[in-house]
Amino acid sequence: MQAEHHNNGVSVHAGFPNPAADKSLGNLDIHQLLVQRPASTFLFRIAGSHWQELGIFDNDIAVIDRALDAHSNDLVIWWDDITGEFSISYRSTMPVEATFWGVVTSTIHQFRSA
Amino acid sequence: MKPVFALIDCNNFFVSCERLFRPDLEHRPVVVLSSNDGCVVARSNEAKAAGIPMGAPAFKFKYLFQQHKVHQFSANFELYGNISKRITEILTEITPRIEVYSVDESFLDLSTLHIVDYAAWGKSVRARIWREIGIPVSIGIAPSKTLAKLGTELAKKQSDLDGVFDFVNCKPELRNQALHQTPIKDIWGIGWRLEPRLRAEGFTTALQIARMRPQYAQQLMGIHGRQLVSELNGVSAHTLEPIKTVAKSIMRSRTFGEDTNQAHVLEAAIASLGASAAYRLRNQDLLARRIGLFTMTNRHKPGYRRWAREVILDTPTNDSGEIIAALVKELGTFFSTKQAYHRLGVFLHDFVPTEALQTDLLGFVDTTRHDKARARMAAIDRINNRLGKGKVYYAAEDLSKVWQPKHTIRSPRYVSQWSELPVAHIAPIAYTSQS
Repeated sequence: MQAEHHNNGVSVHAGFPNPAADKSLGNLDIHQLLVQRPASTFLFRIAGSHWQELGIFDNDIAVIDRALDAHSNDLVIWWDDITGEFSISYRSTMPVEATFWGVVTSTIHQFRSA
Repeated sequence: MKPVFALIDCNNFFVSCERLFRPDLEHRPVVVLSSNDGCVVARSNEAKAAGIPMGAPAFKFKYLFQQHKVHQFSANFELYGNISKRITEILTEITPRIEVYSVDESFLDLSTLHIVDYAAWGKSVRARIWREIGIPVSIGIAPSKTLAKLGTELAKKQSDLDGVFDFVNCKPELRNQALHQTPIKDIWGIGWRLEPRLRAEGFTTALQIARMRPQYAQQLMGIHGRQLVSELNGVSAHTLEPIKTVAKSIMRSRTFGEDTNQAHVLEAAIASLGASAAYRLRNQDLLARRIGLFTMTNRHKPGYRRWAREVILDTPTNDSGEIIAALVKELGTFFSTKQAYHRLGVFLHDFVPTEALQTDLLGFVDTTRHDKARARMAAIDRINNRLGKGKVYYAAEDLSKVWQPKHTIRSPRYVSQWSELPVAHIAPIAYTSQS
């Protein structure tokens, strides 16, 4: 860093690198926030409207990471053999006979799609 | 350092990918059919047990399919490619010393890892891939690639092995027994050409090949034979092949839904296949110097004929328009309405990197034309990437039903199309409130 002294006593700093010039430092990557492990991360579309008070809406996107262990208060995806569909619920209320598929890490709700 | 290789081989890979999003098909017979001609390209164990051979044309086995309630899928290559990439990602995390041998097989070089119990290591890798990606794999571990490959086959057959066969810490009697059980046709590198010759000489098992004198093996099979004997005895003759970075040629072909003598149907096929091949080429930042097409009548019908034409371009290109125009012109040199065309293919080869055109060849190229074409192609690719393939296409690329692949039973592109994501239903009230 260099400082140039002017007549009126004000100093101007020059030569300090602009931190914003390195783009990898400046940008927040939404992918980094939502996807810790790309290899084990899958996306599902949510169907059903009766969880709106929980902030989960019909047509939202659920992010699932299969690498995670499911805790009882986790949201999980499981295969329901009776209906022949994937379902989403808390781990604690997943039926014993269901086939566990993965842990939901976030849901994405878009107000306007791109 | 003693070489140690692991082969990670996905079990019935295409079927396993389909089952990932259809857990109800576990333990049920499933086949995957090639998307254009409807031949079996993958079978679940249950389908194998029902006697459905690899490559079987679906229409010939209709009765067997019905009898065993075999679930059929058309190949969903976007799905299989995506899942394959995920497995490679996990394996690369374990060691960067990897050779992706095919869409469902990878060799790892374990010699630099500190592993004491290879079988336990294999079981943990297998469990990890099953849990994180949902694909069952078999793992063979051995001092040579040939034995590792043999190990995966043994691991698949014997259910008590937990999907892992380790030749490294394996008693000699057990090793010999394993080789004795292996018919020569199951040995990596012994093809249909070599097998009858070896049989004629009285060789039927891998153990017999392992006990051959190296000189004799060389007389029978060339240098390859000597290497094979060495590999079967656990002395490595092959190393990891470096990752194949660029394609050497790109081929796209389709069988017409019904044989045709209509020029416009063939032209539409050229346009669509040409566009798809050129897209792949642009994706790899390559230009093709030579392009070609081939077409044939049905080879099971009398009067079978085939035609092939190749064009050597003055200026290498990856422009769909140029490629399609040149090939349609070639079609005109032999096309006849008296023929019933059954299948058509487009191929591109002799590639150069895109940058090469701007440097080496600069003096000889009309660069303004090239830049315009390049901008146009980039725009088309952007739109198709956003909206899904086939939204923007060349005028000749008419989506005529006659030759469209029969994708009717293809599963959704769960992992590559926003509009086809798997759906999770919010569970009935009974399950939703947390207890």
